[in-house]
Amino acid sequence: MMGDYEAIIGLEVHMQINTKSKVFCECSTQFGFEPNLNTCVICTSQPGAIPILNKKAVEAVIKTGLALGFTINKESTFARKQYFYPDIPKNYQITQSEPPLCSKGRLPIIVKGKEKVINITRIHLEEDAGKLLHEIGSRKLDYSLLDLNRAGIGLMELVTEPELNSPEEAFEFLNELKSIVEYLGTSECSMEEGKMRCDVNVSVRPVGRKEYGVRVEIKNINSLSGIRDAIAYEVERQKEVLNSGGGLIQETRLWESEEGITKSMRSKEGALDYRYFPEPDLVPFNLPDSFIEKLRKEIPEMPKVRKARFMKDYGLTDYDASYLTSTKVVADYYEEALSYSKDKRASAKLLANWISTELNAKFNASKISIVESPVSCQNLAKLISLILDGTISWKIAKTVFEEMYEKSADPERVVKEKGLVQISDESAIMKMCEEAISESSKAVAEFKSGKEKAIGAIVGLVMKKSKGQANPQLVNKILAEKLKT
Amino acid sequence: MDEILKVKASELRTKVHSGEIKSVNIIEACLTRIKGTDFKVKAFLKLSEGRSLKQAAHSDEKIEKGEKYGFLEGIPIGIKDNIMIKGESMTSASKYLENYVSPYDATVIEKLKEAGAVFVGRTNMDEFAMGGSTETSAYQKTANPWDIRCIPGGSSGGSAAAVSAGMVPFALGSDTGGSIRQPASFCGVVGYKPSYGLISRYGACALASSFDQIGTLSKNVKDSALLASVISGRDYRDPVCEPREGIDYVSYIDSPDVLKTIKIGVPKQLLNYKIDAEIAKHFNEAVEKLKLSGTEIVEIDVAAYKYVPALYKVIMCAEVSANIATFDGIRYGYRTSSSKNLNDEYAKSRAESLGYEVKKRILFGTYVLGAKNYYKCYHQAQRVRTLFINQITDAYGKCDFIFSPTTLQMPVKFGETLMEECDIFLTAANLAGLPGITVPCGFANSDMPMGVHFMGSRFSDVKLFQVANAFEKISGFDMNKYPEL
Repeated sequence: MMGDYEAIIGLEVHMQINTKSKVFCECSTQFGFEPNLNTCVICTSQPGAIPILNKKAVEAVIKTGLALGFTINKESTFARKQYFYPDIPKNYQITQSEPPLCSKGRLPIIVKGKEKVINITRIHLEEDAGKLLHEIGSRKLDYSLLDLNRAGIGLMELVTEPELNSPEEAFEFLNELKSIVEYLGTSECSMEEGKMRCDVNVSVRPVGRKEYGVRVEIKNINSLSGIRDAIAYEVERQKEVLNSGGGLIQETRLWESEEGITKSMRSKEGALDYRYFPEPDLVPFNLPDSFIEKLRKEIPEMPKVRKARFMKDYGLTDYDASYLTSTKVVADYYEEALSYSKDKRASAKLLANWISTELNAKFNASKISIVESPVSCQNLAKLISLILDGTISWKIAKTVFEEMYEKSADPERVVKEKGLVQISDESAIMKMCEEAISESSKAVAEFKSGKEKAIGAIVGLVMKKSKGQANPQLVNKILAEKLKT
Repeated sequence: MDEILKVKASELRTKVHSGEIKSVNIIEACLTRIKGTDFKVKAFLKLSEGRSLKQAAHSDEKIEKGEKYGFLEGIPIGIKDNIMIKGESMTSASKYLENYVSPYDATVIEKLKEAGAVFVGRTNMDEFAMGGSTETSAYQKTANPWDIRCIPGGSSGGSAAAVSAGMVPFALGSDTGGSIRQPASFCGVVGYKPSYGLISRYGACALASSFDQIGTLSKNVKDSALLASVISGRDYRDPVCEPREGIDYVSYIDSPDVLKTIKIGVPKQLLNYKIDAEIAKHFNEAVEKLKLSGTEIVEIDVAAYKYVPALYKVIMCAEVSANIATFDGIRYGYRTSSSKNLNDEYAKSRAESLGYEVKKRILFGTYVLGAKNYYKCYHQAQRVRTLFINQITDAYGKCDFIFSPTTLQMPVKFGETLMEECDIFLTAANLAGLPGITVPCGFANSDMPMGVHFMGSRFSDVKLFQVANAFEKISGFDMNKYPEL
C-alpha cells in the first residue's frame, strides 16, 4: 500500500572558526599555504606537546550561541574522542562531550511564508583534522600524502533537533544560519573552501506516527544546493524502499554529487566506539558572567532586524532591503556610503539601486567581494549626489562609474576632467532643440500627426549634438513645448 | 671516588661561582665516575661528553671574566630520557622513539639552560615511564648501586641510581604514581614530586596527564629545593600549570623549629598492609625521632587508601591509551617495513616497537573507556578519586603532613615483582595532586637503604621542604656514604 510519508531531518553543521591562529596552538589558520607549513610541535603531536586554548575561539562559539538564543554553560569541559586516522595526529580529537559550551538554541526560518522555529541542541568547540591526498590531479598515488595545515583549526559543531521536514527547510535553515554567522564574523562559512560542512540525518515515517523511522546519516555534501538535492534523493529512496516492502538499516551513506545519489558507506554495526573521556591536559571552563556579558554586547544587529530597519528608516523595498542585508559587509557598505550622502532620504533608494545592480554586476564579473571594492563608499555617495543635483545624467553617471571602477577614481574629478557636466542651460538647449527640429522634418510631421513616439528620434539628435550632456528632462520639456506650437 | 663528587650541589655552586673549583673539573670527575662504574649500574642511556666539557669550559670562562652567569652555572645534572632537549635524542626508553630527535626544549630544560646547568647525559627509565623497576626499558636494565643484583626501582631508576652512585649531584625525574620517590627510596636518595601544577609538564613525554609531574632526585633535601627553585613557576604552555611565580625554596629551607610547630598524621591504614619488618622498625624510629623533636603525632583515618591501587590503575591506563595513541608510525618513530594497508601498518608498527607493559596498559585503558565499561570502570574510578580526595582533605584538618614509609617493601632482585601496594602512599599524592618527598632514613641489615615519605597539602611545597630538611638532620642517615662500586 502506498502511504503518505513525512521526512524527519536533522543537521550537523561544522563551521571553521574565524581566528588568526589554530584553537590549541599558535599556528596560522590561513588557507592555501604550502602543505605542512602551518604546523608546530602541538598540531603535529610531538611527544611532550600540550594544547593551549585559544580564547578567541571560545569567544566566537559563545557569540554564535548568544546570537542563536543558546544557554551558555559556564562550566563546560573538553573531551578526547579517540579513533585512529592519519589526518588526526594525536589519534584523538579534542572536542566536547557533556556539557558543550552552548545548549538549547533556536533559529526561526520562513517556510511557505510562515515562521517555523527550529530548535538547536548544541554548539560545541573542537579541532579540525588535516587532509589526506590519495591522488594528484587524476593520477592515483600508491601512497598517501598528509597535509596538517588544517589540523587544529577551531571548529564549531552545531547539531539541530530532528525538526526539519523537507529539503527546502534544511536549505532555508542553512542559509539563515550562514547569514547570521557571517554577520557575527565568527566563521566565513564558505562551503567551497570547506569552511562550512554539513552532515544530514534523514528518516521517514508514515504521517501521523509518533515513533521515528530508521535514521540514515549522509556525509560528503559540498554545497548548499547539494544538501537540498541529497535530502530530496534520500527521502525518495527511503520511501521507495518502504513502499516496495523493504526495510531500512541504520547506516552512513555518502552523497555522490555527480551521479546525484547516495551510496552506503558503513552500517551501524561498523560504527566506532570513540572512547570519550575528559581531556586532562586542559582545565575545565569556569566562565565569569562578565565575560559572557561582554560578548553579548559585541553582537551586531542581526540580518532580519537590520532589514526591517532599512525598510522603515530608508524607505527601501523588501527586495532591496533583503539584498543589502543578506551579508553584513554589503549592509555596512551601504550604510557607510549613506553616511557620506548630503540628502540621505533622497539618496537611500538610488544608492541601494546602484549597489544591487551596477556594483553587484561588476563584482560578479570580476569575482571579487565588496570588501575589495575599488569604488569606495565615499565615491559612490558622491556619484549619487552628482546625479541628484542634476550635475550629470544617469547615462553619464554610468560612464563615470566605469572610470571609478577601473581606476578607483573620484567621480567629481572624472566629471571635471572629462567635461561631462550636464548642460542645464535652457538657452543652449533651446538652440540645439531648434536645430534638431529643423533637421528632422519627417519625425516632426509624424509627431504632429499624433505619433507621439516620434519625439524620441528628435531627443536622440539633441543628445547627440550635446555629446550626451544635455539634461534629458529639459530636452524633453523644451521639445514638447516647441512642437505643440 | 673523587672527593669532589661528594660535595652537594648547593656547595658546588658556591665553590664554582667563587672560582674555588672549576666546572670542568667537576664534569670530568662525573664522566670518570660514570665511565668507571656505569658498566655495572647502567644508569645512563647516553652521555654528552664533548658537549658537557665544552659547556663547562664556557661556564668557567664566564665566571672567570666576571660575566653574567646563571643560577646553576657549570653544575652537572642528569636528565631522565623522557624530557625534551632540542636537537638531542629522546627515547623514553622505547624502541618506538629510538631515532627520534627533539625539535624543541621542554620548559624545565629551557629554564635549566638559562640557569647554566650542564646536561651530562640521559638517564634510563621504564619504557614511557611505565613500571616501577626500570626493567621495562627497551635498552638496558639499571642496577641498584647498593646491590647490583637488585632493581633500582622506577620509573626514574636511572636518575636515582646515578645520583646514588655519585655520578651526578642531582637529576630530573618524572613522577606519575611514585616514579621519582620509589626509586629514590630504593637507592637511598631524596626524591621530590611537587604539587600538581607547580612545574610545567611541557616537553615531558606524557604518561597519564592528570598525574604527571616533573620532579627532582638528589643526595639531600636542600639540593632538591635548589633544583625546584630553578624549574618551577608559571608556564602558559601548560594549561594545568598554576599561575604562580617560581619560589627560591632554598632561602626558606632552614627553619630550625619547624618540627615543633607541626602536626604529623600517620594513617591508621598502615596496619592493613604487610610491611617489611625492617621498614616498619625504621619508620617507628623515625616517628619517635620526630616526637623527640617536639612534633605532635596524630593518627588519621583515610579509609579510601584501599582503593588507591585500583583507581590509579583505571585512570592512569585510560590516559595512557590515549596518550600513547599518537605513536602510530605515521609522522615519526618506528614504522614497520612490511604492511598491507593502513590498519596493518598501525598494528605492526606498534606491535613491533612497544613493550609488553606498554601494550598491557593500552589494552586495559582501552577496555575501561569502552562504551560498555565506561560507567562501571572509568567513571566509577573518577568518583572514587573524588571520595579519596575528600577524605585526604579531611585528614589535613587534623594534621599538616601525612607521614608513612616511602615503600612497604625493600628493593627486590631482577625478575622478582613488587606487591601492588608497595607504593600506595606515594600514588596517593598523585591522585590528589599533592606534593610528596622521600628522605632516606636508614639501612636494612642487607645494607640496602630505605626512606620515609612526607606528603603535604596542595602547594605546601615550601613547608614540605622545611620539614623534610629538618627531618634529614635528625634521621641519622649518613648522606656522605656512597655505594662501593
